[in-house]
Amino acid sequence: MVDTAAVNRTDVYTDTSTSTSGKMAKTEPLISVRSVHKFFGTHEVLKGIDLEVYPQEVLVIIGPSGSGKSTLLRCLNLLETYQKGEIIVDGKRLSDPKIQEDEVRRELGMVFQQFNLFPHMTVLENLILAPIKVRKKSREEAIKDARLLLQKVGLSDKEGAYPDALSGGQQQRVAIARALAMRPKAMLFDEPTSALDPEMVKEVLDVMKDLAREGMTMVVVTHEMGFAREVGDRVIFMDQGEIVEQGTPQDVFGQPKNERTKAFLSKVL
Amino acid sequence: MSFVEQINQGLSWLDLRVDIIWDYRDLFIRGIYYTIILSMSGVGIGLVLGLFAGMAKLARSLWIRWPAIAYIEFFRGTPLFVQIMLLHFAVLPTLLGRSPSPVISGIIALALNSGAYISEIFRAGIQSIARGQMEAARSLGLSHGMAMRYIILPQAFRRMIPPLGNELIVVLKDSSLLSAIAAPELANAARITMGATSRPWEPYMTIAVIYLVITLILASLVSRLERKLDYGRHSRS
Repeated sequence: MVDTAAVNRTDVYTDTSTSTSGKMAKTEPLISVRSVHKFFGTHEVLKGIDLEVYPQEVLVIIGPSGSGKSTLLRCLNLLETYQKGEIIVDGKRLSDPKIQEDEVRRELGMVFQQFNLFPHMTVLENLILAPIKVRKKSREEAIKDARLLLQKVGLSDKEGAYPDALSGGQQQRVAIARALAMRPKAMLFDEPTSALDPEMVKEVLDVMKDLAREGMTMVVVTHEMGFAREVGDRVIFMDQGEIVEQGTPQDVFGQPKNERTKAFLSKVL
Repeated sequence: MSFVEQINQGLSWLDLRVDIIWDYRDLFIRGIYYTIILSMSGVGIGLVLGLFAGMAKLARSLWIRWPAIAYIEFFRGTPLFVQIMLLHFAVLPTLLGRSPSPVISGIIALALNSGAYISEIFRAGIQSIARGQMEAARSLGLSHGMAMRYIILPQAFRRMIPPLGNELIVVLKDSSLLSAIAAPELANAARITMGATSRPWEPYMTIAVIYLVITLILASLVSRLERKLDYGRHSRS
């Protein structure tokens, strides 16, 4: 069974679109968002969002600033609350008052625009803190795991460094490794390359591409249209708190139907 | 001629008499000891009070926040001298049913007063840590308490060292007010010496120099600690 799954996964490399639609037909969504509304005071920032994220899917959310895409992402792991509708993550209803916030969050890795590494800890300590304190792993096991992840993001030689001594791109790769160290079921990326110098964008996107290839479920808010086109299984365009258009990257970028999508893409492409 | 007499003669043109201090040296040595004990204990307890009051002031619940605000505002808004008098002659005798020792009253007064100032140092320190740190910690599944303990407080504490050191120096100097309740500290030693000899210059110049030496030592210890705890800013590889 395991072997076949691995083989199937390899297929995903070569033909993303067909295997994705196959997945979507068969499996239950990992994340469901059902007509979610959110207000900041009287200002409605999310106006009834419906969306599903399926296992192993890479969902890319694009849109102008202030469109609510980051807010939506932050609602998924309870960094923001919402007033109407429902979000279900891994079978847990987030509006349930008895919900254990920490149990939902540990299953969703989050990568922030500003990296948010812990500056008083070395790279290795950043990676092992949550696995030890939350997952109750032994220190040895957590370190072994962390070293594998650092190798994966190409930063094995930096485990003893403090975040301040790293470049922005290196910090963001550490942040990705830190989120992965919790073995999350999905990864949320909130404009992961927006705070980076241009020459460092690629190294971070490459790590994300590797992750996508390995079958990680990802929700990515980004302005990197190249990444969206190449790696995304599905692209969502948001504007003014609504999902305006969604589809495969080929459809959304190739033949956008909505005027707002066309206007946005003409500005960024 | 003894050593003290020699110095005395050397300073005779100033009309200063070092032998007075020498005669009362036990009083001054005890004074140094108690000044340090009183201010260290006061700030030590004040740190605990300040941590709780500072966190309480950041709490969401009004029932937790309000008492903390009342405490902080009272002790920052009234003179320490008045607080010492109230505690030693009114509050503590009423609570205990007898006169408290000046040392106990002194420690309590300094602790309550410095706790109020330290709570503001804690609050500012906690709030100065970017919100993203808390969000990153929570998004990894850490509870609020764990995030405070492992992420926010260790960083906040580093930023609090300079103002805390400053507070320790302030308390050390303010402990001189405890001479009003006859706590056996430095200013009390000077007061007794002046009363017994009718000489104001020698005892007060002496304790001024002693206070200055202690505060200078403390200031250098604090800046050394600050440098030692400064992480990751030395090298960029």
